[in-house]
Amino acid sequence: MESEDDMHDANEVASVEEDDNYYSGGEDDHDMDEAGEGEDYGYDYDEEEDDDAADYDFIANSDDGDDALVSRSQKNYTILKEEDIQRRQFEDITKISTVLSIPREAACILLRRYNWSVNNVHEEWFADEENVRRAVGILEKPVVKSPNYKEVSCGICFESYSIGKLRTLACSHLFCDTCWKAYISTSINDGPGCLVLRCPDPSCGAAVGQDMIDKLASHEDKEKYRRYLLRSYVEDSRKIKWCPAPGCDSAVEYVVGSGSYDVTCSCSHSFCWNCAEEAHRPVDCETVAKWVLKNSAESENMNWILANSKPCPKCKRPIEKNQGCMHMTCTPPCKFEFCWLCLGQWSDHGERTGGFYACNRYEAAKQEGVYDESERRREMAKNSLERYTHYYERWASNQSSRQKAMADLHQMQSVHLEKLSEVQCQPESQLKFIIEAWQQIVECRKVLKWTYAYGFYLPEAEHTKKQFFEYLQGEAEAGLERLHQCAEKELMNYLSSEGPSKDFNDFRTKLAGLTSVTRNYFENLVRALENGLSDVDSQAVCNKMSSKTAAGTSKSKSGRGKGSSKTGTAVRNADDSGSWACDKCTYMNARSAAACHVCNHRR
Amino acid sequence: MTSDSASSRKALSKIASNRLQKELVEWQVNPPAGFKHIPTDNLKRWVIEVNGAPGTLYAGEMYQLQVDFPEHYPMEAPQVIFVPPAPLHPHIYSNGHICLDILYDSWSPAMTVSSICISILSMLSSSPAKQRPADNDRYVKNCKNGRSPKETRWWFHDDKV
Ligand SMILES: [Zn+2]
Ligand SMILES: [Zn+2]
Ligand SMILES: [Zn+2]
Ligand SMILES: [Zn+2]
Ligand SMILES: [Zn+2]
Ligand SMILES: [Zn+2]
Ligand SMILES: [Zn+2]
Repeated sequence: MESEDDMHDANEVASVEEDDNYYSGGEDDHDMDEAGEGEDYGYDYDEEEDDDAADYDFIANSDDGDDALVSRSQKNYTILKEEDIQRRQFEDITKISTVLSIPREAACILLRRYNWSVNNVHEEWFADEENVRRAVGILEKPVVKSPNYKEVSCGICFESYSIGKLRTLACSHLFCDTCWKAYISTSINDGPGCLVLRCPDPSCGAAVGQDMIDKLASHEDKEKYRRYLLRSYVEDSRKIKWCPAPGCDSAVEYVVGSGSYDVTCSCSHSFCWNCAEEAHRPVDCETVAKWVLKNSAESENMNWILANSKPCPKCKRPIEKNQGCMHMTCTPPCKFEFCWLCLGQWSDHGERTGGFYACNRYEAAKQEGVYDESERRREMAKNSLERYTHYYERWASNQSSRQKAMADLHQMQSVHLEKLSEVQCQPESQLKFIIEAWQQIVECRKVLKWTYAYGFYLPEAEHTKKQFFEYLQGEAEAGLERLHQCAEKELMNYLSSEGPSKDFNDFRTKLAGLTSVTRNYFENLVRALENGLSDVDSQAVCNKMSSKTAAGTSKSKSGRGKGSSKTGTAVRNADDSGSWACDKCTYMNARSAAACHVCNHRR
Repeated sequence: MTSDSASSRKALSKIASNRLQKELVEWQVNPPAGFKHIPTDNLKRWVIEVNGAPGTLYAGEMYQLQVDFPEHYPMEAPQVIFVPPAPLHPHIYSNGHICLDILYDSWSPAMTVSSICISILSMLSSSPAKQRPADNDRYVKNCKNGRSPKETRWWFHDDKV
């Protein structure tokens, strides 16, 4: 800081952000951006841009085009455990160290600087080795002459030592071991900035490598350093992110441009790789962020919804929801069967009454009479909260239903399956269909839950779309209810029976059929919603909806359309082929079938 | 104006007092131009007189710096402030806090009180105008109750002063 010009540099130091910026590249280099005594060491950091930026530009566009339709069974991500990350780091360091003929610690410093991209290190190094060396502090020769007298003073404590007692990096700035140790320990305990530690001399950019750390740091500090290094591999990369599940140490590497961001970690946590929220297909990340924000803003108003208890619409006694599906039966003697969501009579739900499942729809309260301005405003405020409440309640119900289903799935795998195998005299391998059913329920509850956020943000003005959406959602809700009920309640009969039931095979056929039908329906639904219901044809929808055929569970066989344009039509044209929906389970049967393929119910 | 933080109340470590004694001896032999150390019996707090450099906006003016050393000096930076009235400068707040990176993030244990003084004088000398930082009032208000500038998250000004 001797001259005016030096001062300029000092004042240009960017920011003093907290830990999360330590890995963001360039900024750390400013730490040692002290202008030196000579031109040679006054580095110009401004020229170091984020060289990788261009590589990642296409992330933002990856939702475009047909990518989004990549089948979910094709994995577009890799789970990395701690040992995988360590192995990769080791291999990359070996590669760089071999190709550039530099020590491992120098290779490590280079890789860290270029976000662990071997290619970028090669590119930069071969383009301008000298500049790269200077920027990261890998020196070839000392920057000061080694003193040739015997007694030298340490540059920090100023005590005199015989020269053999002092230690230096390649730069020949000498410090005693006590000061080196304190310097390194202070830096490691300050945070991940220790990964870009430089020589203590303010004018010197020589990097402190891992070899120095290994020699001088305490065991505990070495371990911290190792963790920071491990973290940097994930946090510097734009293709790898940590699994957000508490206590999970795995990371997920995502193939950019490969469509859906939903990933499932080895710890079984499903999350959106892009925004780290739980997986949220078919809703996009922005909508999820808006919805989450809305929920936290309204959380006080919504607490009652999470209470999980409602008065029975008939006898008014509080009913605790302890099952996953929405079909509630009040305790005896009332035994009233109702829908948890709309509190309507259960028999009004589904195709039997000729109407379709409609409690997913929000009908704004009718406004009657004449309002003065303030009353109207109050009414509007109330309506908007009511509208939100409607969607939030369904979102939350599916959420808790999903959690219940996950617990049930676990219970099934750990306890019930074995018992069922005994009671029904079936090998467990023959009971996989039950696990598959439960896995499907868990998945569908998640999708269904997010469709309520989707619905909330669907513009009111787009009537046709909204109508079509509500129709699809209603069918999804109904289809899933059937599956959930079958897996939850009907299964109980077989579990608690004395011996093998003779209709167990029918049950198998039904549950497996419902599982497959529901899976296909939901896959189509997700694609249709992700496409923004772009091919809604108002005519067809209206025809469809007035025909009152439960076509929701359509296309079990041919549902895997080739592209976006097929999905909407798959639902719409379900009965054009002459196929028919079963009255009992709504399975779409071939025209030729006289009885339902799934439940044997006659046409 | 001084920090109430625990570290500043703790006694100096042995390493810190050894080093400060050496710095003081060196200062007496070879003081930085424009500065005068005012002797006290307190090694932990130095008071230093600053004289504006001739030919600059601060020529003929005199200010006082107060330097407080933490237990683990020089691994940790000292706290350096102007004793009010502080010079009018775009990087110096009216409560005496100084926005200078080497006092905070860019501190290195190989720096000394003397090198800090030289940086501060250089900062004063290069000032194009006698004025307070734009956020002076807000910042000073937030610093009530004797908050140390070392607890501030500084954004170092990037204007050319
Ligand atoms: Zn030393
Ligand atoms: Zn050095
Ligand atoms: Zn995980
Ligand atoms: Zn997301
Ligand atoms: Zn009841
Ligand atoms: Zn209902
Ligand atoms: Zn059927």
